[in-house]
Amino acid sequence: MAFFQTNFFSPVLGFNTDINVLIPTPNSDEILNHKKSDYFFDGAKYQVLYLLHGAYGDYSDWMRLTSIEKYAQNHKLAVVMPSASNSFYQDMFRGSSYLTYLTEELPQFVKALFPISAKRENTFTAGLSMGGYGALRLALTKPEQYAACASLSGAIDIEGCLERVKNGTMGGPFLWDSIFEASAQIAGTDADLFALIKKRKAEGRQLPKVFQSCGTEDFIYPLNILAHQRLLETGIDLTYEEHPGIHDWDYWDTHIQRVLEWLPLAEDSVKE
Amino acid sequence: MAHIDCNFYSDSLQKNAHVIVFIPSMSADDFLEDRQVSYYEEGKKYPVLYLLHGSYGDCMDWSLRSSIERYAQDKEIAVVMPSAENSAYINMVWGENYLTYIGKELPDFLRKIFPLSSVRDENYIAGLSMGGYGAFRVALEYPETFGYIASLSGGLDMPALQNGTEAHSKKMPLNYKEAVFDGGDKIAGSRNDLPVLLKEKKSAEICLPKMYMNCGTEDFIYPANEAFYKAACQMGVEITYERFQGVHCWDYWDAHIKDVLNWLP
Repeated sequence: MAFFQTNFFSPVLGFNTDINVLIPTPNSDEILNHKKSDYFFDGAKYQVLYLLHGAYGDYSDWMRLTSIEKYAQNHKLAVVMPSASNSFYQDMFRGSSYLTYLTEELPQFVKALFPISAKRENTFTAGLSMGGYGALRLALTKPEQYAACASLSGAIDIEGCLERVKNGTMGGPFLWDSIFEASAQIAGTDADLFALIKKRKAEGRQLPKVFQSCGTEDFIYPLNILAHQRLLETGIDLTYEEHPGIHDWDYWDTHIQRVLEWLPLAEDSVKE
Repeated sequence: MAHIDCNFYSDSLQKNAHVIVFIPSMSADDFLEDRQVSYYEEGKKYPVLYLLHGSYGDCMDWSLRSSIERYAQDKEIAVVMPSAENSAYINMVWGENYLTYIGKELPDFLRKIFPLSSVRDENYIAGLSMGGYGAFRVALEYPETFGYIASLSGGLDMPALQNGTEAHSKKMPLNYKEAVFDGGDKIAGSRNDLPVLLKEKKSAEICLPKMYMNCGTEDFIYPANEAFYKAACQMGVEITYERFQGVHCWDYWDAHIKDVLNWLP
């Protein structure tokens, strides 16, 4: 795997931002075991997973706290890890336009710089907690760009999260009134994922398939059960898993591997 | 510029390698001045400058100690800054193959990853001090890859420098020096002796890269530059050579890397 810590100016955000990028390359393991294959035939591109951090985090979390590099190498998958602050992956009403950055500017940038496929069938999102919501938010915002999205311990039901923050049963660094014009009215807007799915369906657009996983001892588990029910009601292609575990990196390090098994991966570079 | 800190496994080094890469991308200035620059055009390839550090340095030096990012952005070229320890950019007699790595593996690899030109006339190599020597050493070994060589305060007379009494030579761990050249006395007359290599390539009647030298007249390494220039002239090899007041320091290299960029096409 080649590891690229990348810093660049984002016109959409209006400031410099960081991404970590993993591109499959022959590694020492493969050379030792004579498994070396042709990674870079002319025109070779990689399938890509946009992997999103949770609240309080940034682009460096997945690299530092999991073995994502090893897992991606095993599947020959490129991974892009961006930063989105505590924006809940929205175009903040008072703040930065992370959703536009992530769904428009970043794909264009990484495809120009790295050998990353531009095809829908090769483009996926995943994330944990706030990033689990984000993975679905990105893929459902531009369903023509993403074939699959995965949520680990995700805040899929953003309204439910807001309610629990308001009644003091959940915490979080979210500046709700910066993110939304009126946080009291999330239901029915595009930020409400259930409403967004309904809207996209009504538009007749092809939807990404969805993976949902949550630890049964996680504080966000009850909300995931509710979200599961509501996702089922939308009729979207959904794979649901729950396992013993809490809201921590052990869970995410373990179950991101399930996400990679679930994704429609070529397990190799792809032609384009 | 996109600033990319790269880490990957290198087959020729048999270990992980660390490289800093700049790729032109929209800057805040472009944004503020509404410059319409097509950075992300499909099929776009950038000319690329391989920029080498000096002894006691590494791949971080140029980006930390000079404003190369700004200069390269203005010129719309990519910059690749590898690490090569104190190897003088050769295949060490008792160590790693930095010559193969920088001259062959790295361009091959990076062209697969990034939008970099593979046209010879759009591949430049430059460096300071040991990196000035390295630029000549690498490009003369791979003249089909590099169209332009530039040296700033280069260690171009390697036999004299390795056996010299300057701190730059004396402070180098002796066992490391042994690993690089198998002893300072083995350089003269070998292909690691630049005039010898230059003569070989000249008589092979291949297309030589265009060459540029720049050195401070108060630099301890100035005599080495004069000696190499003289040897090249005697061979009838054309080199553009500029001399300015200055010593062996980053003020000089930050100022005069701009001369290199101006000299490049």
